[in-house]
This record gives sequence, C-alpha cells and structure tokens, in this order.
Amino acid sequence: MKFINKGTFTGLTNIKTTIPRAFKMVFSNPIYITISVAIFTAFWIIFNVFDQLLFFSPIITFYLPDDNDVVNGFIISNIMSLLIGILVSMNVYVIRNSNLRLDKSIFSGSILGIASSACASCSSIGFIIISAFGGFGIIITNFLTNYQTLLRIMSIAFLLWALYSVHNRITKSCVFSPNKNTKKQKQ
Amino acid sequence: MEKNNICIYVFAITSIVSVLLLFNSITLASSSSSSFLHSILQLFNNKTPEVFAQLNDENGNGTLSLANLIKQGSTYQGSKFASVVIIDFSDLQCKLCQRFVKYTEPQINSTYVQTGKVTLVFKHLPNRGFDSFPAAIAAQCTNDQGKFWQLHNFLYNVQGPIDSGWASKNNLEKLALQITGLDKQMFNSCFENQKYKSFTDADLALAHSLGFTQTPSFIIVKNNGTDIQKLEGPQPFVEFKAVLDKELVGAR
Repeated sequence: MKFINKGTFTGLTNIKTTIPRAFKMVFSNPIYITISVAIFTAFWIIFNVFDQLLFFSPIITFYLPDDNDVVNGFIISNIMSLLIGILVSMNVYVIRNSNLRLDKSIFSGSILGIASSACASCSSIGFIIISAFGGFGIIITNFLTNYQTLLRIMSIAFLLWALYSVHNRITKSCVFSPNKNTKKQKQ
Repeated sequence: MEKNNICIYVFAITSIVSVLLLFNSITLASSSSSSFLHSILQLFNNKTPEVFAQLNDENGNGTLSLANLIKQGSTYQGSKFASVVIIDFSDLQCKLCQRFVKYTEPQINSTYVQTGKVTLVFKHLPNRGFDSFPAAIAAQCTNDQGKFWQLHNFLYNVQGPIDSGWASKNNLEKLALQITGLDKQMFNSCFENQKYKSFTDADLALAHSLGFTQTPSFIIVKNNGTDIQKLEGPQPFVEFKAVLDKELVGAR
C-alpha cells in the first residue's frame, strides 16, 4: 500500500506536463538523441534477429510475413526498442547531471523482453536452455514461447514504469547536483 | 551500500544458476549431450562446408547423397534425379518451422521442386518439447502408407502451443485418422510399437553431428551429397533462391 500513495497519484495527474518537460530537457541535446537512435537501432536488430525477421546470410534481408502473430510481435518489439532507446538516454542524462543511481526498472523490462524474444524463437539460445537445464529447460522455454506476447506486453509495462520513474527524477530538479548544474551554467 | 546491492544480486543470480545446473546434472547425468558446456560448444559449432564434406566418401555417395537419404527411408518431395537437394531439419511443434512451411516452402515447391530442379528431403529434429518426438514418429509412420506430407502439412496447420496437448500421443492418433485413406490399424501398430524411434534418433544424431541446434535448419547439397551449403531459420524465399541458383549453376 506504501507503493500507491498520494504522491503517485499527483505525479500521474501531472504526467501530461512533466513528461514533455523531461523529454525537452534531455533531447534538447543532440548527444542524447544520438544515444537513443543508436540504442534503438541496436535493439531493433537484436529483436528482429531473434524473431527471425532479419537475416544477414547469404544476403541481408528483412522479411515480415503476412501473419498476425508475427506482425503483432514486430510492432511490440519496435515499441520495446523505442522505449529502451529513450530510457537509456534519460538514465545517462540523470547519471551525468546528478548523483542518482541508474534506474533498475529499465533492466527488468529489457531483460524480460529479450528473454521472451530469444527463447521463443526455437533459436540456439532456446536450445541452450533446454540442453543446460534438461526437462526443466523445456518447461522454461515452453513458458517463454507460449506466453511470448504476454511477456512482451509485461516488458512494455515495466519499461513504461521505468520511463515514469526516470522522468520523475529529471523533473524533480532538487535531486540534481547543484555543483554540476552550476558548472554547466558557467560554461 | 551500492556495492552491497550488486553483491547481493550477483550472489542471487549465481545461486539460482547453480541450483538449476545441479538439478540438470542430477536429472540428466546419463546424457552426455545435455551438459551446459556441450550446448555452448554446439552453439559455436558452426561447421564449415569443408567439415560437412567429410561426411561423404571419395565417390561422393556419402551420408548426404540423395540416393543414400532415400535408401535410409527419408521422406522427400520431387525428382530422384534433381541436381540439387534441400535437407530440411524440422520439429513438428516448432512455430518457426510452421512459418517456413506456410510462407517459404510453397514458393520453393512451385519454383524448384515441381520443375524437377530440386528435391526437398525432410529430417526430424525434435528438440522443442516433450511431444516433439512422438509427433516425429507419428509422421514417419504415415510414410509407410505414402501419407507423410499430408500429415506433415496437416500438423503444421493445426499446430498449437508447445506441449499444450495438441501433439500428445492420443491426439496424434486422432489427428492421423483425419488423413484421407490412412489405414488406422497399420498406423496404430507402427506408432504404438515406436517403429521409427531409432530412425528418428538417427535423424537427431545427424542434425547434431552437423552442428544444428535450432529448427528449422537446412543444408543444400548436390545430388551426390557434395558442395554443402548451410541455412538456418525460416529464411525467406530470396535467401533460398540465392543459394539454389548458385548451386544449380554449379551442378550443370
């Protein structure tokens, strides 16, 4: 019950103004845009390789079959890549401009997303889990495969929570290191 | 404080992995292929065509020649005399294999198999779930009556979540009965006696010897089993076309 307190609700009602403000603060600097684009591209490639939509050999091909499950998975993985890209930039901004630590919720969302993608694809990684953990590995990979979409949606929820959390850190100016801010202002 | 937290996370993850590895070593101690190290090695065991070629004898009539594959009882589509052969290692429970069968295989079939240029051979690689092996045996049993490809296509059409019961032994018997003209008694006798268990084991061993761990995996060879090319995953038609055209030019 401590988790949902009055402050959380207030934060949620102010989200319409605070999120754009956080974005403006971070992405006004081209470095953070570059970081976001780079991370988005890296994760886009990772997810599409795991989903077996992007092939590098014998020729580089991106192939999206006209299948509802595949298209839905592609849309979800794009959202995940985008969120991870934005979150990494925002966390870098927080680390560089304050004494705060990295927001751990980004890891839970990213790891869950990658795990559900990698293990669901009948890929070598799934095989490793099966080989390493035997019957238990089959149960793990089956769970990840059969509930892939649900797990990815959960992953998006974690990432959205991470976004909310990190935007709070950015917009609450009092947590930022005064020394660093002063240095920047002097520059 | 931060360092303490990191230590706790590392300790927790290490403990979980250790417990799972211990569980694995207890339950699967008898199987040498189940070790984690072995599977890691297999992942990086991306054999080159030169290594594959060692599977053939000096006359070129080795393990992967079409004549030998047919002699072993492998199921195939197309001409016995096609100059190029695609060997498909698949699991009937695998979703990506279903994607290949649904989107890529028809294009390969109409462009290369129906025209007599290529033969498609099916090999079992049942490693996705507990029901994969019985599904492979059931499919192989229908081959005795010339109905393999009907059941193969039918199973991919009705495929459900892995190990959800759709490919249980009882359900496989029911599904097989829906194949027009299949002799029920003959099929049941074959399936219940696991007539093709050793055959499926041999397919699995061949796949592992080739370094295949994921499904679907393919090798493309000349009719005599030489000039081996490897493809992994449900690759689109353009990828197969690139390899097949090159192989067909070389085969002339």
